[in-house]
Amino acid sequence: MPSNTASSSSAPAGSADSSSSRTKSKRPKYSKFTQQELPACKPILTPGWVILTFLVISVIFIPLGVVSLFASQDVVEIVDRYDNDCVPTPARANKVAYIQGGADKSCNRTLVVPKKMKQPIYVYYQLENFYQNHRRYVKSRSDAQLRSVKDENQIDACKPEDDANGRPIVPCGLIAWSLFNDTYALSKNNQPLNVSKRGIAWKSDREHKFGKNVFPKNFQTGNLTGGGKLDENKSLSEQEDLIVWMRTAALPTFRKLYGKIESDLEKGDTINVILKNNYNTYSFDGKKKLVLSTTSWLGGKNDFLGIAYLTVGGICFFLALVFTIMYLVKPRRLGDPTYLSWNRVPGGGR
Amino acid sequence: MLQEADIGVGISGVEGMQAVMSSDIAIAQFRYLERLLLVHGHWCYSRISSMICYFFYKNITFGVTIFLYEAYTSFSAQPAYNDWFLSLFNVFFSSLPVIAVGVFDQDVSARFCYKFPLLYQEGVQNILFSWKRIIGWMFNGVISALAIFFLCKESLKHQLFDPNGKTAGWEVLGGTMYTCMVWVVNLQLALSISYFTWVQHIVIWGSIALWYIFLMIYGAMSPSFSTDAYMVFLEALAPAPSYWLTTLFVMIFSLIPYFIYKSVKMRFFPVYHQMIQWIRYEGHSNDAEFVEMVRQRSIRPTTVGYTARRAASVRREDRFYDQIHTDLVAF
Repeated sequence: MPSNTASSSSAPAGSADSSSSRTKSKRPKYSKFTQQELPACKPILTPGWVILTFLVISVIFIPLGVVSLFASQDVVEIVDRYDNDCVPTPARANKVAYIQGGADKSCNRTLVVPKKMKQPIYVYYQLENFYQNHRRYVKSRSDAQLRSVKDENQIDACKPEDDANGRPIVPCGLIAWSLFNDTYALSKNNQPLNVSKRGIAWKSDREHKFGKNVFPKNFQTGNLTGGGKLDENKSLSEQEDLIVWMRTAALPTFRKLYGKIESDLEKGDTINVILKNNYNTYSFDGKKKLVLSTTSWLGGKNDFLGIAYLTVGGICFFLALVFTIMYLVKPRRLGDPTYLSWNRVPGGGR
Repeated sequence: MLQEADIGVGISGVEGMQAVMSSDIAIAQFRYLERLLLVHGHWCYSRISSMICYFFYKNITFGVTIFLYEAYTSFSAQPAYNDWFLSLFNVFFSSLPVIAVGVFDQDVSARFCYKFPLLYQEGVQNILFSWKRIIGWMFNGVISALAIFFLCKESLKHQLFDPNGKTAGWEVLGGTMYTCMVWVVNLQLALSISYFTWVQHIVIWGSIALWYIFLMIYGAMSPSFSTDAYMVFLEALAPAPSYWLTTLFVMIFSLIPYFIYKSVKMRFFPVYHQMIQWIRYEGHSNDAEFVEMVRQRSIRPTTVGYTARRAASVRREDRFYDQIHTDLVAF
């Protein structure tokens, strides 16, 4: 920058004493960094860049949206709400009493497959209005206890489900205590369908968070039953239902994986579900649904990403056109400071 | 006098250092005052106003996403993000870029500050730090947060995001939202500045890269320390294409409103320093006559100190015509 060096190069002359002998210059050592003269890229939003950006966004987003929408449309999903229908008619006036009572709670449901479903088909249970993300609930667990036997007594965070008669509950806490315990037995055309329960939990949970030597103890022995019981002979790392349940959900409406069907289902097949309606969601107006779903590379049936990409791609394309027209129709003389706000009114004013 | 003034500038010289000791800024020669005012004064004002507005923006984005999540946890104060994510947002992932803006940003180069001394009036007239600008940035933060939260929540609606059928828990939603947020606030900064040196590139892209590196390192620590973030990136998020697609979508969608605003403003309603940027871009800055014409047409009668502040506040009350005339007579 010529003007800068010109103004500072006369410093040695200025700092020379009146004795006119050349004293040592006090000018600091020049560096681009300290003088703020680093090579810089100074982009500004010219019309070309604006239109180009919008076009690039729409060119990328529209195909992504189409691909995502196709992936989501390929997924076949069957959702069946059963919590109301599975309460026998005479008991519907007081569902809470029914569910807490000892009657046999088996229920028969029939599902029809709308389109061919390729294996693996995932079976989920969906709960609604269940706040698994409530702070007190999320804190009510003891990770140390789940991992190793010697930490069995670390139950402070688990109140009120921490001990039974002075002996620690394993696994302690409200999350484990409220374990979902509806079961589903599926059959197709009178042939039982095998629902595999292996590998439904995340691998890191099974191997690192739930110990292989930790076995359930004193579980669900109190007066208040919150959910399912656990087999005391299976170690926690094999209790995949518990592991899936203990990964707390993010939202009040959530699905959790129940099992996998490893055979295909043809269109028009009738699936008969014998389910046990054990879990009490009636006290808080929750809903229970059974979901069978295939997956695609994008996950489950969710048109949102596809539609969103398409919409935004379309809007950006439209904006590119609008900006092109705007720039053509209203060319502004740039660099003319009469457009400055404080010059528009004679004598100033903003 | 030096101590009575808003800013006192002392000159160190043959008469001794007394002025320097009681001043706010000391310079060695009187002619350095020109650079001090026109270049550093203008830069300082522009940097600080950008930095403060952006600081509000990024913290509002961060806080409003957490607040919106509370509506879905029945307001039980469960945060949307892991504890360490919360603590480190303002330390690692969004602090260095804003410091780089506050220290290094130059909206016009020093040469142009000399050529167009009226850039200094941007500070006097309080153009870059008016309430309109502050509230505008805060509003930008709120809509960014709304976009981030609702788009992430919708794309994970039934938690089926993984091609292997597993469902998304709290940590997946938190990780996705946080990733989108880190991208959005950093890209927003990149959009709002127009001066990129190696410093800005390193801090902006580095902060984003640091987030992924942090996720991997934190996730690799023992589960007793990393609790729910254990392996969340490598096992759950990274293999799921929907995570990457959601991140890309949210980051572009959140920035489109600001991008439109800036394009329209830059082209049709440019502020003075943006006009100078246009002049530089079009190459007219080397045309001495053009520059002189711009300077002449920019000149307006100004006042200083109490009179200027009164005139500015009076303008806001829309009684400026008579008052400006009165002030000129008094000046």
